[in-house]
Amino acid sequence: MIAKRIQPMVFQARRLYVELMFQVMGRALQAVSEVDASVQNDARALPVGFLFEMMVMPYGSRLIVEHVGNGRFHYHGTSAPRPVDLSIQFKHIAHAFLVLSFQEKTSVAFANDRMLVDGDISYAIRMTRVLNRLEAFILPKLVAQRAVKEYPANLHLPEKLVSAARIYLKVASNFVETVRA
Amino acid sequence: MSNKYYEFFCPVKVIAGKAALEHIPYELTGMAAKRPMIVTDKGVRAAGLLDPVIAACEESGLEIVSIYDDVPPDSSTSVVRDIAGIYRSEKCDSIIAVGGGSAIDTAKAVNILVSEGGDDIAAYAGAGVLKHPLKPFFVVPTTAGTGSEVTSVAVIADTEKHVKLPFTSSFLLPNAAIIDPRMTLTLPPHITAATAMDALTHATEAFTCMAKNPLSDAYATAAIKKISTSLLAVMDNPKDADNRLELAEASTMAGIAFSNSMVGLVHALGHATGAICQLPHGLCMSLYLPYVLEYNLESIRGPLGELLLYLDGPEVYAATPASRRAEASISAIRRLRDALYKHCKLPRTLKETGKVVEEQLERIADVALDDGAIMFNPKEVTLEDARAVLRRAWA
Ligand SMILES: [Fe+2]
Repeated sequence: MIAKRIQPMVFQARRLYVELMFQVMGRALQAVSEVDASVQNDARALPVGFLFEMMVMPYGSRLIVEHVGNGRFHYHGTSAPRPVDLSIQFKHIAHAFLVLSFQEKTSVAFANDRMLVDGDISYAIRMTRVLNRLEAFILPKLVAQRAVKEYPANLHLPEKLVSAARIYLKVASNFVETVRA
Repeated sequence: MSNKYYEFFCPVKVIAGKAALEHIPYELTGMAAKRPMIVTDKGVRAAGLLDPVIAACEESGLEIVSIYDDVPPDSSTSVVRDIAGIYRSEKCDSIIAVGGGSAIDTAKAVNILVSEGGDDIAAYAGAGVLKHPLKPFFVVPTTAGTGSEVTSVAVIADTEKHVKLPFTSSFLLPNAAIIDPRMTLTLPPHITAATAMDALTHATEAFTCMAKNPLSDAYATAAIKKISTSLLAVMDNPKDADNRLELAEASTMAGIAFSNSMVGLVHALGHATGAICQLPHGLCMSLYLPYVLEYNLESIRGPLGELLLYLDGPEVYAATPASRRAEASISAIRRLRDALYKHCKLPRTLKETGKVVEEQLERIADVALDDGAIMFNPKEVTLEDARAVLRRAWA
């Protein structure tokens, strides 16, 4: 545990940040699925009751959402009512941090072997698309261009939702600067 | 510092060249294997390709204990179970796969069952389920295209549940791939052409998609160079063993490249087309490659331009302005495709295949969008984009 003594604050901050971002994303997933047709289209192909998990290996933070039908997601927090159907697992909290602080695109993280998929790959593709869309929503355009392969041309979301999420983002960018240093 | 990061892994011993098959007995003994089973298909046996393999083993006093030669083109869980049963009753201790993608995938799955136990291969589906090395396993490819001898993936159809089960684990990789020019010498022209285009696509996508890395780049460019210099020579003279070997090596190298850096939209569309229209995989690759490169062009201008050196040689590369090289690479691939059409009527468009109707394009686009390969395509693909590429490839 030598590493812990050297940079305790940084590690603590990173863990808190990842947990916070999982909460933000979980809530945002639910919110976006209620208003955005493109997210709904991708989500509709998932079975009703489908449980999606994103987690940090081995037993770290997680977020769980359920497809409750009609392309809508319900955010379950950190515990699943039954075994999950699809799990995207970051190999290390450092990699989760890279992605959740929008320094590395989700698809790049896959390409870079930062995370593993446990479950049907075609569902994983759909969820990645949903996450891309989500990132484009909750991020200012400039940051979002870094986080997703392409910034969608057709974003229409209640400004309230967007600004609410962006408040978290402010916190986020501060974290990045602190931790990066 | 950038976020650049990559992983590269290929523990497969490559045994390639003249009289390569004769190394099999030594390699088996080196792993204390004495009772090998051959897994192959009827076509391979009918073409007489097993004879040199068996002869090579018998001359060294190594008996092939069992030969299963009934692997279908689309292998299934029941076939895997049957072969595992024979392996056990014959007390085999190692597997030699001789064939193309299906025989190799089947042998990989059989190796899971006979090493891990049980009869239900579905229990091992998914990524990272296997935790231990499997039985000694050797692959002798008889087509120069799939690269399955160096990939850690197998796909087996579950015919009862109508799903394709993917298996991913580095333990699926064979201990050695034996590449002998005798194995591809009798490959008919249109299969030679289609499988070589599959290998070319593996290398091109590996070099232009998101997970490209310096090591896979080296394999990809070398593979492209071998294909662009040897393919037409083999089409002119199918018995040209030297160029046959070049193609076989290129296929393995392209396999190493893409298994470490993945493929993209060409494969996503190809998988969908194969599933819906029963079109051979290599042919699909040949059909889609130029159009997908055009679609991705602005995202891959740099790397695609570099490929001109390997596709067309140093003179053309030097004479082409840097800003035009990416387009020139696409033209080179189109020329190759057109030459193959002249040689063996390898279709250039979906329409020319005679096996696809225009109404199916919608469905192909839908299915392609759910394919794993699309994740690593350098440019985001929407349903509309996929449809547009398909329309261009139509006629
Ligand atoms: Fe392929």
